[in-house]
Amino acid sequence: MDPAVGTSPRGTIPPTTAESALLSELQAALGDDGLRTSALSRATYRRDASFLNADPLAIALPSTREQLATVLRACRDHQVPFTPRAAGTGLAGGATPTGVGGVRPLVISVARMDRLLELDVANRRAHVEPGLVNARLGRAVAAHGLRFAPDPASQIAATLGGNVATNAGGIHVLTYGVMSQHVLAVELMDTDGAVHLLDGRLPEQAGLDLRGVSVGGEGTLGFVVGAWLKLLPAPPAIGTLLAGFDTLEAAAATVGALVTSDRLPDAVELMDARAIALVEGYAQAGYPTDAAAVLLLEYEGLPAGVSAGVDTAARLAGEHGATEVVRAADADQRARIWKGRKAVAGAIAKQAPDFFLQDIVVPRSRLGEMLDAVVAIGEREDLIILNVVHAGDGNLHPFVLFDRREEGVLDRVFAAGHDIVTTALALDGTVTGEHGVGIEKRDFLSQVYTADDLAAQQAVRRAMEPSGLANPDKVLPTTVGCQEARMVPEGAWV
Amino acid sequence: MSDATTMTTEVASIVAAVDAARGRQRQLVVRGGGSVLDRLPPTDAEELSTAQLTGVIDHRPEDLVITVRAGTPVDELSALLAAHGQECPIEPLAGHGSTVGGRLATALAGPRQLQAGRVRDWVLRVRLVTADARVVTAGGVTVKDVTGYDLCRLATGSWGTIGVIAEVTLKLRPIPIHSAWFAAERPAPRVLAELYRPAAVVTTGEGTLVHLEEHPDDIRAQATAAGLQPADPPAWPTTARAAVDPSRLAELTSLAEATGLTYAAFEGVGVCLLDGDADALAAAGERAAELGGSLLVLDPGRGGPGWGDRTEDTMGLRVRAALDPEQLLLDVRQPR
Repeated sequence: MDPAVGTSPRGTIPPTTAESALLSELQAALGDDGLRTSALSRATYRRDASFLNADPLAIALPSTREQLATVLRACRDHQVPFTPRAAGTGLAGGATPTGVGGVRPLVISVARMDRLLELDVANRRAHVEPGLVNARLGRAVAAHGLRFAPDPASQIAATLGGNVATNAGGIHVLTYGVMSQHVLAVELMDTDGAVHLLDGRLPEQAGLDLRGVSVGGEGTLGFVVGAWLKLLPAPPAIGTLLAGFDTLEAAAATVGALVTSDRLPDAVELMDARAIALVEGYAQAGYPTDAAAVLLLEYEGLPAGVSAGVDTAARLAGEHGATEVVRAADADQRARIWKGRKAVAGAIAKQAPDFFLQDIVVPRSRLGEMLDAVVAIGEREDLIILNVVHAGDGNLHPFVLFDRREEGVLDRVFAAGHDIVTTALALDGTVTGEHGVGIEKRDFLSQVYTADDLAAQQAVRRAMEPSGLANPDKVLPTTVGCQEARMVPEGAWV
Repeated sequence: MSDATTMTTEVASIVAAVDAARGRQRQLVVRGGGSVLDRLPPTDAEELSTAQLTGVIDHRPEDLVITVRAGTPVDELSALLAAHGQECPIEPLAGHGSTVGGRLATALAGPRQLQAGRVRDWVLRVRLVTADARVVTAGGVTVKDVTGYDLCRLATGSWGTIGVIAEVTLKLRPIPIHSAWFAAERPAPRVLAELYRPAAVVTTGEGTLVHLEEHPDDIRAQATAAGLQPADPPAWPTTARAAVDPSRLAELTSLAEATGLTYAAFEGVGVCLLDGDADALAAAGERAAELGGSLLVLDPGRGGPGWGDRTEDTMGLRVRAALDPEQLLLDVRQPR
């Protein structure tokens, strides 16, 4: 049995009076094409790219702001919660339609609100709808010599609305920063259908930066209906370097040296031996298969600085015992080096039926310790864990490979995930760097923040979204203060 | 001015001071280095000074992260970091003794914001004392962190209205290996389009000035290609600063030019520093408001912050009310 597409017993339970009333209103507003209620449709929207899943009431697919406003007002009138959904590439259950008090939420998809509303080349900014795919914006602006810097691995599918909701990261965060740094303004719709322009375009003297709070709000603070995004000029020169190491420690030490060198690389990615073996068999990126780790480094900008950066990186890698250093001679070779990194998820799919992807951050200087701990946790739980790391940010993505048909394996997978997170906390790190809290990390927040810290967060949430209907049960622990961290929420089918 | 200045040495004493002010039902205004507050008209509120709350709590050069107490002068921070070849590009207001907490609270922009990004983009963690005298921490010491809502950004530019900033963790970067100012013959928009991510482009009445950073060979090549000549940095007017959407900046500088104001406009940023007579400044304030921005007058003799018509979104008002229901923390930007 495959629980991910299974039908919950709830599927046979008729809608409540409030639910029926909501559905008939939505039917009138959106038509047959804009509202999905079948068991098959509901199964499709049970989960994002995580394992956490639940049965939604229905799926609404508004095409316009007016339709969305009607949907949100209907949710308000009938007190039915809603879960915004973009591409569903999230990894923390942020788009999993968990309800509250037994009320199933309405999933509201942004798939049909996917336009590039305005491309302002002169002022280097774009106004987008939430359903526009990240890579599509990238292609549209490339023709004008511009780029949109945030580049999460899922960018060929992930939408900008989803990137705003999770404050997404990517490969170039080290120098370009996370999503928030590239969001000039957010348009947030409330349950009255009113749009709040959270404007960060003024350089100073503006009101509170609610834009900054809404980025990373995971759909709990309102519905992102649009955003103004900052574009940057495409770099005139790019230098890419691949370095192989005999030990993880040597690779981690090189990262430390790079971060304190006189020019920061724009990307520092680390992959361990298992990740190398996996992607080499799949994508033939040219990584040294006998290495314990490789570093993928990139410098962008003007030619002399890029060249000096690559020289420095090659020297530092050599000083730290690199066994092989390859400089990309041209764009083709650069693309090949990155192909391996970008092929990780595809390669895993060929190797194991399932994977559980973690997202933790530690101070960069603790990277070596954290990598050692992940190896030890894998051995203890008898699991294959491979490491793909945004090393320059101290942001680890351990992939736990498994086959869910193996009895008891999920307990070990979640035990490993739990230990990885608590280890990161013990090393002064935190529980999520870029994937978000969702449901998966929600109960860890009590270990990160005090009750007073969380009370302030809750107060801001209630002030921004007083209805309590927007993606309830996500981000903040339901009972602040004294909960055991749980990987699996009650009622969700894992 | 105020009738009491409360000195604090530790967060606990800020908590006590906030609690005491609550008991007396007196509004509080936070004083950092006074670089902004002393240049605004006086208030009736009690002052809570962070001047004694200074020093580094934790500097981790290898992590490019530093945690300091809010009253630490920005100049001191810069000197300390420079010794490690590092910087946090949150420029102080020249010569006015800004503190780190004050820089965060006001989030006023420097010209290097063009390339380096905004103050809010360099803040990793903030420890606040809220109006109900609780200590609230937001963010963490890692460079990436999406654990919970980003209240660091809420605190940055909040002008002390959501809490007293007590401790700050900042992201750092290496100091650019080389930097130089140049004069450009061409107008600023063309200069901006021609150069690859210049550190700053400043328009003044005398012409366009460009600040380039990083590798000297690249700086030379860019200067040659764009016809730049070596120049001194611009003089910075200090009386007032207008903030508008950067795409509307030329509409402000044209007015400054026509009314005889001395100005320095941060291209691509949207800030214009101004000196001049009261009528011309008033006209600049009106123009800034028409453009959706505002004018901040940093001269108590000139009659006020000048942004009394500022309207906050209802959502912003609700957030403030939630965090400070009794309006203990004075918004110094309000007209008086």
